[in-house]
Amino acid sequence: MTHIAATPIPRRPSRTRLAGALLLALLAGFALLGPVLIEADPARQDFSASLAPAGGEYLLGADHYGRSLLARLAHGARLSFGMAFLSALAAAVPGVALGLLAAWRGGWTRRVLDFLSMIVLALPGLLLVLLLLAFAPGNFGPLFLGLALTLWVEFYRVTRASAAVLLSQPHIEAARLLGFPPLYILRKHVAPSLAPTVTTLAAFAMAAAIIAVSTLSAISVGLQPPTPELGNMMIELLPYYSEAPLHVLLPAILIFLMVLALQLLARRDTA
Amino acid sequence: MNAASRLAAALLAGCVAGTGALAQTLNVVGPWEIAGIDPAQTGYVFSRMQVAETLVTTEPSGQLAPGLAESWSVDADGLTWRFALRGNAVFHDGTPVTAEIAARSLERARDGVGVLEQVPIAEITHDGPEVVIRLNSSFAALPAYLVHFSTIILAPSSYDDAGRVTQILGSGPYRIDRLTPPLKMELVESGQWWGGSPGIAEVSYTAAGRDETRAIMAESGEADLVFSVLPVSVDRLRRNPDLDIQIATIPRSRIVKLNAASPFFDDIAERQAISHAIDRLGISNVIPRNPDLAATQLFPPAMPGWHQADLPPLEHDAGRAAELLAQAGWTPGSDGILQQDGRRFSVTLLTYSNWPELPPIATALQAQLREVGIEMNVAVGNSSEIPARHQDGTLEMALISRLYSIVPDPIGALLTDYGPGGGDWGATGWDNDQMQAVIADLAATADPEARAPLQRRAVEILQEELPGIPVTWSELAIVSGKRITNVQVDPLEVNYGLAAIRWAE
Amino acid sequence: MRRFLLLRLAQAGIVTLVVGAACFALMRMLPGDPAMRIAAGRYGPDAQIAQAAERVRLELGLDRPLAVQFLDWLGDLARFDLGHSLVTGAPVLEELKVQLGASAWLAFWAVAVSLLIGPLAGVLAGMRPGGMADRAGLALSIGLRAVPPFLLALGLMLVFAVGLRLLPAAGYGTARQMVLPALTLGLGLAAVSSRVTRNAVATVTHAPHYLFARHKGLPEAALIRRHGLRNAATPVIAYLGVQAIYLVEGVVVVESIFAFPGIGHALVHAIVERDVPMVQGTALVMGLMFVAITAMVDAITAWLDPRPRSA
Repeated sequence: MTHIAATPIPRRPSRTRLAGALLLALLAGFALLGPVLIEADPARQDFSASLAPAGGEYLLGADHYGRSLLARLAHGARLSFGMAFLSALAAAVPGVALGLLAAWRGGWTRRVLDFLSMIVLALPGLLLVLLLLAFAPGNFGPLFLGLALTLWVEFYRVTRASAAVLLSQPHIEAARLLGFPPLYILRKHVAPSLAPTVTTLAAFAMAAAIIAVSTLSAISVGLQPPTPELGNMMIELLPYYSEAPLHVLLPAILIFLMVLALQLLARRDTA
Repeated sequence: MNAASRLAAALLAGCVAGTGALAQTLNVVGPWEIAGIDPAQTGYVFSRMQVAETLVTTEPSGQLAPGLAESWSVDADGLTWRFALRGNAVFHDGTPVTAEIAARSLERARDGVGVLEQVPIAEITHDGPEVVIRLNSSFAALPAYLVHFSTIILAPSSYDDAGRVTQILGSGPYRIDRLTPPLKMELVESGQWWGGSPGIAEVSYTAAGRDETRAIMAESGEADLVFSVLPVSVDRLRRNPDLDIQIATIPRSRIVKLNAASPFFDDIAERQAISHAIDRLGISNVIPRNPDLAATQLFPPAMPGWHQADLPPLEHDAGRAAELLAQAGWTPGSDGILQQDGRRFSVTLLTYSNWPELPPIATALQAQLREVGIEMNVAVGNSSEIPARHQDGTLEMALISRLYSIVPDPIGALLTDYGPGGGDWGATGWDNDQMQAVIADLAATADPEARAPLQRRAVEILQEELPGIPVTWSELAIVSGKRITNVQVDPLEVNYGLAAIRWAE
Repeated sequence: MRRFLLLRLAQAGIVTLVVGAACFALMRMLPGDPAMRIAAGRYGPDAQIAQAAERVRLELGLDRPLAVQFLDWLGDLARFDLGHSLVTGAPVLEELKVQLGASAWLAFWAVAVSLLIGPLAGVLAGMRPGGMADRAGLALSIGLRAVPPFLLALGLMLVFAVGLRLLPAAGYGTARQMVLPALTLGLGLAAVSSRVTRNAVATVTHAPHYLFARHKGLPEAALIRRHGLRNAATPVIAYLGVQAIYLVEGVVVVESIFAFPGIGHALVHAIVERDVPMVQGTALVMGLMFVAITAMVDAITAWLDPRPRSA
């Protein structure tokens, strides 16, 4: 997650961004429609098909329990996207709102909020997520809350800094002095300039959330079996890497593509 | 080859092979972390690595053998045991191992957490070169309890004023040179072991929690000896001409622990139905990857006297499972899940990831029980949740890995598992008077002839009543490089015999 | 300068209190019996945990009122004593020295690796925005960022340890054992810092004062050294400062796969085993490290770019 805030964003849609959007649309389609179209039950086991190769009865092969990898990938993609989207949303809404509030009110409001964000930053994010997960191991709730709690600071800091610059511009100051209602000014003047930055941050936050969820599975504090989570699938299949390398790579490739799409989409300028 | 050129060659080999440490060091890798040095906590690492010793030890065959005690005897009343110490044992700080020190060390072990709690000990004293243990009631298995790692004998300077262990000064062939908990320990030859000089003077132990890591360390040649390699990796390493693999069946069974007092499992037919629903062969083929590990009864064939070869085996028969469940009053509901008096057959199985194979087996069980109309949720958590839920009676099911050689005589485990009120890792909600009587008799009986029918009876009761349902047995895989020879496998995991290992010529 | 230090000290004090209290409260609110968890952590899953838990409860005084336990911790803290781990019995400070120390070294080397690769690649790319180097760097950077860290770790192990037999696959204690974990983390870091550098360089090389100096006829290398690097370094330092903090905790997976005794591994254990002093101590030290690093970053950026900043 980068911290270089408020660099002006050129508004031209670059080719890479387009590619990112296209890839993201494809993946989202797979995540949304896959589970519906693929009839196989992602939890159904068939020991006789353990590690079945791709292309046979199972289109993308089967895992060590003989579960359809295609079905598991589709469900896993849906889960990862869902989690990532929700955490990014839950981080962006309070982050942006508080950021605007701090920029608008300034003074003590800003100081208190700044302090709060510093405390959150000083609390190791891993600690926060692990602690919350310990309240209800293997549940979506705390995982999602923990991610949102660590990710909101980014939105807050960037929004506050950008909005402060915007609000100090002469025409907006004039509008404030003329007594235009705050919401009107925010909608009319601040939101349009802020939107691209927030979108970028949201895409980065989603990418971070996808990696975080799969990473937590890797240290077995994530979601519970048989949930088809991509990180879980990778870890479950990892021991078989020499026998069935493709099987291990499939969930990894899916994660890779999802993060890649988000990164491409989120590119600031050519960064 | 003279010493200097040998050193040079070894150094060169070390660089080429990427061993990192000096090539003269025996690099041992295992999954066990060193969490605290109290013997009750990590004594097994010090015992296996031959830093500290117990009074009694075991042969690889499982027979008890002299450790620090050369011999032992019991009085006719069965209450007073005498352990005669070998005269030539010395601690790493130079203090001789005397009966007085050993008795005090055992007293401390008894005060702490450990297996001695289960023995009816009246007092531990010394009499000349003998440690004398007086009991309140006859307990034939006492010597087996003195094999346990919590009873390692430490030098007086290992303890601080409050009696807490601050360093490990044992009497084994290796002394600790550097201890960096939780993952690393370096050992050097102690130079004064009663058993002679070890074949290799320096040993380094690294704890690597992930199986993939251990396997790769074996493959890359930087580890000479790797313990507990998972079956998947074993299959791959077998094809590597530079590695030797030895496999031992260990007295550990993975069992489904059930609450026989819950409405789901109070009927013996329900427990038998669960047993029939489990495809042990399928699970054994896929997870431990060895069909011979399908647990057709509680104890594996490697436990003579306890494994009963002619006992009717536990078998997979989904049809029979359905019949038994119907007989117990369960009928299929509209959602495909069985119901009885408006209650859905939906249970939660707790398990833990200390043993990496448990969550996968739980996942397999989940799918298999679903086939007979049982909804089983899996919760992978901390191992302590199972005893906690056992104690407060809210446990439904748990998948556990139970070691029957915590003391080399399985009677130790049976006493805690199937005594009155059951046990953390044994029965829940199942009190069987007949079983308790048999166990009590076994604990007091030393004569193998007299024990045999009792052992048989105990196993029969467990097979019939199924307070716990065996799923698979376990193996221990040890991978060693060609650089070393004379690697022994100890199925009881008391002592890995490092001192006997030599460099290959 | 004195005001700056005082402010930072006050900040550090408040962080200490808030972080310590928050950890204590959260750890004590967790469900389940802490004595059971501690016993399981100490004696392993083969032990008779329920019996051991009773001894643990007595030994540690877990039944005492919470306020008393928290005040005890504060009292110890005032004497710079972080207490003892409830599981291993060792002083928390000792545990942190080994485990946080290992992670800090790893983070240090990861940052070093990324400094070796990132800015170099970044400057190359930034000199000619849109050129070959820029495009290749971009592709590599985006790709590296999208690879889950443990996969990268496994790949490096297979190539360098099993395939080439150049480096040890895992373990801790020698410099050679540090290479692969540091590379795993450093590559990910370099992926981002190279782009931050590239942007900064690209911006600076298009700034009027730079173009003017170039117009004067200064050779390019001197030019970059004199004008480019200094200004371009500001965002890079700011970025690396933040990353260094994320790194210390972000290493957990890398630690687990490389059998590295780091703080991520320790934290996971401490939370699962309800080792309150260990969690508090870790959070505290890491919180203070956060304050120290941000202070350092501020100081360095102020030194690099003495113009007063508004934000």
